Amino acid sequence: MTKLNRRTLLKTGAAGLAASSVLGTPLIAQSRSLKIGSYGGYFEDSFKEFVYPAFTDATGIAVESVTQPNSTDWLVTMQQATAAGSVPADLSLYARDTLIKASRIGGLLKPLNLSAMPATSNLDPYFVFEASEGPLGVGAMSWFTAMVINPGEVEAPASWAEFWDSSVYEASLGLSRNYNSQFLDIVAATFFEGEETFKTDEGILALIEKAAEIKPNVALWWSAESQMEQSMKNGDVIGGQYYLDVANLMMADGFPIKPIFPKEGNPQDYGSWCLSSLSDKADEAAEFINFSSDPATQALMSRKIGTAPLLDQSKTDLTDEEFAFVSGTPSIRPAYEAYLDKETFIKESWDKMLAGA
Amino acid sequence: MTAVERIEADTAQRPAREGPGLRRILPWFLTGLITLLCVVPFLLVIAISFGRKIEGAAWTWDFTLANYQRFFVGALWPDDVTFLYLQQLGFSFWYAVIASLLAVLTALPFTLLLTRLSRRAQAAWLVFILSSLSLSEVFIVMGWDILLSNNSGLPALFKSTGLTLWLKDVGWFQTLRDWGLASPRNVKFKTSQFATILTMSYLVWPYAVILLYPALSRLDRSQSEAARTMGAGGWTVARTVILPAIRLPLFGSTLLLFVFLLGTYVAVTVFAAPAQHTTAVAIYTNIRGANLNAPFGATQAVILLISAGLCLGLGHRLNKWAEAR
Repeated sequence: MTKLNRRTLLKTGAAGLAASSVLGTPLIAQSRSLKIGSYGGYFEDSFKEFVYPAFTDATGIAVESVTQPNSTDWLVTMQQATAAGSVPADLSLYARDTLIKASRIGGLLKPLNLSAMPATSNLDPYFVFEASEGPLGVGAMSWFTAMVINPGEVEAPASWAEFWDSSVYEASLGLSRNYNSQFLDIVAATFFEGEETFKTDEGILALIEKAAEIKPNVALWWSAESQMEQSMKNGDVIGGQYYLDVANLMMADGFPIKPIFPKEGNPQDYGSWCLSSLSDKADEAAEFINFSSDPATQALMSRKIGTAPLLDQSKTDLTDEEFAFVSGTPSIRPAYEAYLDKETFIKESWDKMLAGA
Repeated sequence: MTAVERIEADTAQRPAREGPGLRRILPWFLTGLITLLCVVPFLLVIAISFGRKIEGAAWTWDFTLANYQRFFVGALWPDDVTFLYLQQLGFSFWYAVIASLLAVLTALPFTLLLTRLSRRAQAAWLVFILSSLSLSEVFIVMGWDILLSNNSGLPALFKSTGLTLWLKDVGWFQTLRDWGLASPRNVKFKTSQFATILTMSYLVWPYAVILLYPALSRLDRSQSEAARTMGAGGWTVARTVILPAIRLPLFGSTLLLFVFLLGTYVAVTVFAAPAQHTTAVAIYTNIRGANLNAPFGATQAVILLISAGLCLGLGHRLNKWAEAR
């Protein structure tokens, strides 16, 4: 039996302690982690490739990416998960209307501590959503639904109103089928008083009536993004509404599509980071939102994902060309509140118009 | 000795068989499983259909008939009346009836010819048709989507062969435009009822063959031959000998495919214009999507189910009546 004296015991003990602390350090750092949701596909892949690694490098917080199908369906998932007591993501990405809906449902989101995220002061206050219980969402990035045309078939229109001209566009356009996918906002900006028109039922019916006049020119009422993508590529439609970033990417790949900013502008929507009420990672989430609001990160997302930054171009190092790829003016702000307050009325009137019933 | 005592004595005398416990538990277990997996979700849908939508948010449990009322006259009743949802139900039935009939009627001659092939050839065809069932609806719709696309499909063929130009010359192109089957540039087959029904019948065609095959392969050929020797033509034989003999499986297959097609979702979303959308699509847009109106979606589902049930019942009655004659 080896005789253990005090000195060797201290030595081995110290070495052991040192070894365990060396091994232990990265473990402690790695134990800080965050589950972040984003829309699956190209979008999420870009986040995983460019944004999350930069965040982990800067803070040591590991990110586990969670795939969201989109905003609205994800809200259903999170609502059920919250009721069940265990949520798949700490931070979710919600469009503004979904965020307002979540705040109205209540109990799904945890108020954010803005003082822990100083970089959010860079953002336009419109992009920080305040509810009665506090700020529930901070803008992550924004995107435009742009007018697109096939430049091989038609001249670039100066106004959305030209889409109503059947001599050019008969059975040739692709528009979104959902009542709240901002086509009504385009109609309001083009022919009426914009958001004001949504204030009364008569105003909304007038918008829908005007939208009905474009029906003979619509070849495709798309519900999934990919439908419009395929139809533009295949020449089934020669114009319509589509996401600016994807349209630009398609144009860069040589497909016959060109996004346009007509004089009324294009609707701008944005996604917000929202913290689940069941999450215990408020500190990590704050660090991530702070990182995401940083002008450098906003520029990174514009370059790599194609989203529009939520702050002035001057605050970022984006060139004019890079900025024009992801953003433009004027921007049409959707009448989010009206869509929610008069949900059933607008949906049924819109569906009736589409069905001709 | 009471009955119970007698039974007890009986069981005591009987030699213990292997696993009497399992034998007794299994039916209960299966009943429980079926209840859990089928009946409970079903009851849940019915319960949700009485729920109430909260504007701008989700929905809550309640007991209101407002959703059922909305299905028949719209949400704005009595200020305004719409038959939108009945129209959608109508289209569900229209597509399902036409597509299932089309599938069965085209599968019938095919299957009849199939049964006259050698055993080997029959087996090969059946395996091929069975394996095509593994294609999901999404794949099939995608395939037809490409086949009907302007630059890669049928319209491209029309254009390159000069058929489009010819149609324009003879003036039929305008007729196609009036029917919504052409844009000013070329013919277009999407979105149209033509594409929707075509895809839907394609979707169930293999089922039609497989459902008809057993009946047709058991068909007694000596009957047709006898009719032939008595001087009946091919058409007369088909009408008076073959069709009456397979009336029941023919009717049954059509009914089954019809019910199957009532719920078609992908083909309708992709190929039908919103003016011709079905209840299945409406259910989805209510439950998921931007709306979160599960109660109204559930109501539509319940009504679709009841209508399908009524059709099946009616079919059964019709069948019995025909049998009795």
